[in-house]
Amino acid sequence: MRTRGAREDVCPPPVPAAPQEPGPLPAERELDDTTLVVRAREGDVRAFSVLAQRHQAALYRLALRLVGNAADAEDALQESLLDAWRRLDRFRGDSAFTTWAYRIVTNRCLDLLRRRRATVSVEQVAEVAPERLAAPEAGAPEHAAEVDAGLAALRAALRTLPDDQRACFVLRELEGLGYAEIAEITGASETAVRGRLHRARRGLAEVMRSWR
Amino acid sequence: MEVGRTVPDGRAEAGPEDGRLEPLACGRDAADVWDHAVGGTLDAHERDCPHCRAAAADALGLDDVVHRMAAERPVPPPSVLDGVMRAVIDTVTAELRPQDLVPLDSPAGPARLSRPAAARVLRHVVDGMDGMRARSCRIEPAGSGAGGTNGADPFGVTVAMSVTARFGVDLASVTARVRQMVVAAGEQALGMPVRSVDIAVVDLWDEP
Amino acid sequence: MTPPVRLTVGDAVVARIAAATAREVPGVVALRPDLAQTLLGLAGSLLGDRPAGDALSAAGASAAVQQGRAEVALTLVTTLGHNTRDLSATVQRAVAARVRAETGLDAVVSVTIADVLLDAPQAERESTQSPQVPPPGSR
Repeated sequence: MRTRGAREDVCPPPVPAAPQEPGPLPAERELDDTTLVVRAREGDVRAFSVLAQRHQAALYRLALRLVGNAADAEDALQESLLDAWRRLDRFRGDSAFTTWAYRIVTNRCLDLLRRRRATVSVEQVAEVAPERLAAPEAGAPEHAAEVDAGLAALRAALRTLPDDQRACFVLRELEGLGYAEIAEITGASETAVRGRLHRARRGLAEVMRSWR
Repeated sequence: MEVGRTVPDGRAEAGPEDGRLEPLACGRDAADVWDHAVGGTLDAHERDCPHCRAAAADALGLDDVVHRMAAERPVPPPSVLDGVMRAVIDTVTAELRPQDLVPLDSPAGPARLSRPAAARVLRHVVDGMDGMRARSCRIEPAGSGAGGTNGADPFGVTVAMSVTARFGVDLASVTARVRQMVVAAGEQALGMPVRSVDIAVVDLWDEP
Repeated sequence: MTPPVRLTVGDAVVARIAAATAREVPGVVALRPDLAQTLLGLAGSLLGDRPAGDALSAAGASAAVQQGRAEVALTLVTTLGHNTRDLSATVQRAVAARVRAETGLDAVVSVTIADVLLDAPQAERESTQSPQVPPPGSR
């Protein structure tokens, strides 16, 4: 704790230790996204914490499925939320906050995958990959021992897809978003999104067929 | 409906020129058959045609395990959000810039109040009113005209608020009350003289 | 004949007195770096150019003593129920009086209120029930 040094002989005993900063009020937790975004943009830290709290699970699922392991997904989520805070004044509200946040997470994850591929040599991949494959999404207790072999196979198959296809598949099939929203998130046309999704489905069906 | 849709940007990756992604021998698009299979909307042809049935079988074979994955609800550990909010508070604390502060009329020395903190107090007052929710709250020096100086009234501020109201409330009387409450809170809670209040009703909501 | 004694009071001494005094004023929930410390576990890191070992800066006050005068800056957090302008004045007077009493220095105290808690923490609840009680150090 803080050093108090010679404080005691100068002053009477101090008030109790500084209390924790209370978080948002219950009423603030009930507010709609638009209101929270406006407030956060004007510097209201607690409004932002409500937004982050509200959407972190969905954003985390997206990150986890894009990057394939918990440690990277947690990093990507943390950096994305910080990005969101910093760039909030540039969010104009033309789309939903969730769409905007999904976009930040998607870009972060695709960047991370690209960087990793660029810096990790082939030999390193050969060394690292088996562990990563053996412990997919390590840290998530529900996968500690994968009892569902089909799920494990799908997880492995997802990892073999090109990043842009995986992104479309995850957003559409796992998060249930529409083509227009996915197009906005990925920056591709709706037609391109449909194409990527179809190729992703095809590729996965192929892998899963041989698994069955 | 998807069949024959146009390809607006004509990208090669979209597939064949007619917008179909994977034409089957029977003329249907495999992507449509896939959608229909997982959506449970296969038509008579698609149920009978061998090409369509093969495409649908792929879709249904994958669909089950995809649903199981979609039903998973992994959550991030609390440390992620903690880390985010720590960093946010860190930057906010470290960067209390002059423009983020409102001067207070203390007779005992220079005193300033965080503008976001003042705004949160005023929003809180409005949130507490029946049928009202505060959205934006901007606090600016009063009489900050061309020169930006307001020597005559260095501590007075103007408040511009946007609010949303419950459908059915009397907007005229309730906004008059908002004005009153904001001025009162400025004086009583903050010691910040509010010279004028602009209120914009930007949306209506219905009781859930 | 007694040789003249020169007493020099360092910045840290003044800052320590200021922080301790401000913390005792009802309505002062915390000095901001306390909060940062509590929340961040990053003692001192918010105070930029200050040496890391300077625990007093991390205590939420900074002071500079020059030519017999002290300039003190405090960043604090209060709760709804304490008028921020009046609280600033109370803190300023209390700190200036204490600094003068302890060190003989005249002090200019500037106060920044960084946050107003809407939900008073437990320890504060009783005192907010009687906010009219004049805090110690007020005139």
